[in-house]
Amino acid sequence: MAAEKNYYTIDPQGKLMCVKCGVPLEKGKAKFMYLDNGFPVELPVCPRCGFVYVPEELALGKVASVERALEDK
Amino acid sequence: MIIGKTKSVCPVCLRVVDAQKRSEKDGIYLDKRCAEHGAFSSLIWEGNLASYLRWNSENTAVDPPREGRAPEKGCPRDCGLCTEHLRKGCCMLLELTRRCNLRCPVCFAAAGEAPKPDLSLEEIEKQYEYLMAHGGPFNIQLSGGEPTVRDDLPRIIRMGLEKGFTFFQLNTNGLRLAAEPGYAETLREAGLNTVFLQFDALDDSVYVTLRGRALLEEKKRCIEACAAAGLGVVLVPVIARGVNEDQVGAILRFALENAPAVRGVHFQPLSYFGRCALARPERPITIPKLLALIEEQTDGLLHASDFYGGGAESAYCSFHASYRIREDGSLKPLPRRQSGGCCTSSDDSRTSVAEQWSGFVPAFDGDDALTETSALDAFLEQARRSTFAVSGMVFQDAWNLDLERLRRCHICEVDSRYGMVPFCAYNLTNQNGEALYR
Repeated sequence: MAAEKNYYTIDPQGKLMCVKCGVPLEKGKAKFMYLDNGFPVELPVCPRCGFVYVPEELALGKVASVERALEDK
Repeated sequence: MIIGKTKSVCPVCLRVVDAQKRSEKDGIYLDKRCAEHGAFSSLIWEGNLASYLRWNSENTAVDPPREGRAPEKGCPRDCGLCTEHLRKGCCMLLELTRRCNLRCPVCFAAAGEAPKPDLSLEEIEKQYEYLMAHGGPFNIQLSGGEPTVRDDLPRIIRMGLEKGFTFFQLNTNGLRLAAEPGYAETLREAGLNTVFLQFDALDDSVYVTLRGRALLEEKKRCIEACAAAGLGVVLVPVIARGVNEDQVGAILRFALENAPAVRGVHFQPLSYFGRCALARPERPITIPKLLALIEEQTDGLLHASDFYGGGAESAYCSFHASYRIREDGSLKPLPRRQSGGCCTSSDDSRTSVAEQWSGFVPAFDGDDALTETSALDAFLEQARRSTFAVSGMVFQDAWNLDLERLRRCHICEVDSRYGMVPFCAYNLTNQNGEALYR
């Protein structure tokens, strides 16, 4: 089985780093899209390649709740 | 046809007796015989056997009390809770006072009769600590008597918050909230989430019968005050055969007109325990009867088929449906879910009730220097506010008590002498009004 690919690392100061570009992630605009609805948010983004980091607790928490609410609509 | 066996109590002496469930054309009955006081039979389900069996959505997962005590005398005389109990608990009632500013002909707590002194703050603190040590946090229902007769109610709520509880509902007749400007804000600021408001009708003659005087205008003023303060309101009608069965639809329509401040309606068919001026009818209101009344009186807005039985407690103790209120005012029944809509454990149930019934839910606090997700919060709050819940709980009395149901109870009364006592054990009284625990 292939090793899990990491797109980011956390440096000793706790900063999120983009593995591909070797630069710190910065606060940037992103949009969650689901069932024709869009939600503008700001998340850690790589300023070079555009990689967006979605924290696990956000994905399993608020984002999952929004998906369920949209499915109920 | 006999369809099952269980245990119950004699309504005269409260001795535990064997009982069996019998299916007849017009419903399911619980039959029992006391060697000393004879045979008793009570309707427990107004419907055929297929509908009774279909309703069962019981969750058999183990969710026992924390630090339960060893049983000695046998159910229902070991409550506190004992290790034979099957649920750790969801909502805990703290009876802060036995005083009341009404004298209702119908009162499970028999409030106002030779009231004992109020629970001291020290005792309340000990009860909170006991709960945290026995599976807490739980949802807290501040009850009585009428809890708002205590001027230190805000302090009691704050104390609970400090002890680690997060959801507080106030079981009230609403009189003080209606009368005292700023009181709703004071309770909201202290940390109260929901007002569990006795609301039996939109017709004052019903209040005269059940509560001793006309109350409708005060109920409406209470709801206005709570709405302005951001407190959620759940209307809690007691439904009694021959008194207010015809009010079910009007209550639901009124609740919807007052959503989202009114978060839902929680029906409680009258139980014949405590102080009860009404005679127990031959056919008390059962779950299918109440669902039929809901459907008949709401012109197609709600249907009996929208509802399902409890998941964490016995399915035969409660019913529930959640709806999305559409912009045109119509209702869309929401699907039953493994978490959220349907509860499979006491903890699931606790969270789901808190989210649905609160006036306001703080946003998930996960944002940091690189994250900003308020658009998701706003959407979730809007979705929550357009959700309307209709539920009910059928309490058991000495006539229809089924100890199998009681062992799955997750609504408990807190009593410093015993610990946590399931609601229907705590309030159980025999035909002369004598209690096991009170």
